[in-house]
Amino acid sequence: MFLKVKLPWNVVIPAENLDAKGLMLQKSIVLRLLEDFAHKKATKDLGYYLAVTTLESIGDGKIRQSTGEVLFPVVFSGITFKIYRGEILEGIVHKVLKHGVFLRCGPIENVYLSNAKMADYKYVQGENPVFLNDKHSKIEKDVVVRFIVIGTKWLEAEREFQALVSLEGDYLGPVS
Amino acid sequence: MSGEEEENAAELKIGEEFLRAKCLMNCEVALILEHKYEQLQQTSDDPMNQVSQVFEKSLQYVKRFSRYKNPDAVRQVREILSRYQLAEFELCVLGNLCPETVEEAIAMVPSIKTKGRAHDDEAIEKMVNDLSLIKKFE
Repeated sequence: MFLKVKLPWNVVIPAENLDAKGLMLQKSIVLRLLEDFAHKKATKDLGYYLAVTTLESIGDGKIRQSTGEVLFPVVFSGITFKIYRGEILEGIVHKVLKHGVFLRCGPIENVYLSNAKMADYKYVQGENPVFLNDKHSKIEKDVVVRFIVIGTKWLEAEREFQALVSLEGDYLGPVS
Repeated sequence: MSGEEEENAAELKIGEEFLRAKCLMNCEVALILEHKYEQLQQTSDDPMNQVSQVFEKSLQYVKRFSRYKNPDAVRQVREILSRYQLAEFELCVLGNLCPETVEEAIAMVPSIKTKGRAHDDEAIEKMVNDLSLIKKFE
């Protein structure tokens, strides 16, 4: 799910960028914020950081004695993406293995659908491996699948989420 | 893999702060990200280099999974669904998946039948029809 969030942030501007006045300073702050934001990638609470939509306010700058940089407390609005247990989403298959498939959903690459969670589908080996059911419904690379999220995991080191999903439920499965 | 025991979007148990947070449909996010990307194209020779992987993958995703492309249609979907007593989360799942029947709507967002708001089948059918009408006239 995409979320619209409002967040406080501390933007640190090095001394050399402070000579400019007014608009140039604001531009420096915005650029720095965008850099920091892109660098952050994701957090456990809010999910993946996508984009800054509005800069709501810029507070008074505070000088950091040791480095001569100035810290500006800002508030901005932005968009994040987070995946929830129980949520129903659509994703695209990008890898088919014997025990399940990996899907891509939003910025998440590792959404895993185990063969145990797509009960009536059987693995068919080959150059282009697929999962097939008796109604000739196919799950293979580049197919869109609608699934329910049964578990999520936040990986602190990689700053990313993984999800475990299932086709157990009505109206779930490949979408044409 | 451990799911957070209490979290369950199907029952709308997604944390107090998220229940009140604004959620965005894929089509709304598509309009915003496309606009941002266009702005970048005007100021840079290589816009793809300026955006994060997260941005790029998300833009690809929302462009593919937007049911409505026209900005007026997108606005209408938000406006019309807002007339029903829906949580932001529920509104967005409906706007994203566009169920075609009452049964499908309830399967996609089970919480619309619970949480004490008693959306009867008639109301849900109207929701589903409204969504499909907007699509027809897009």
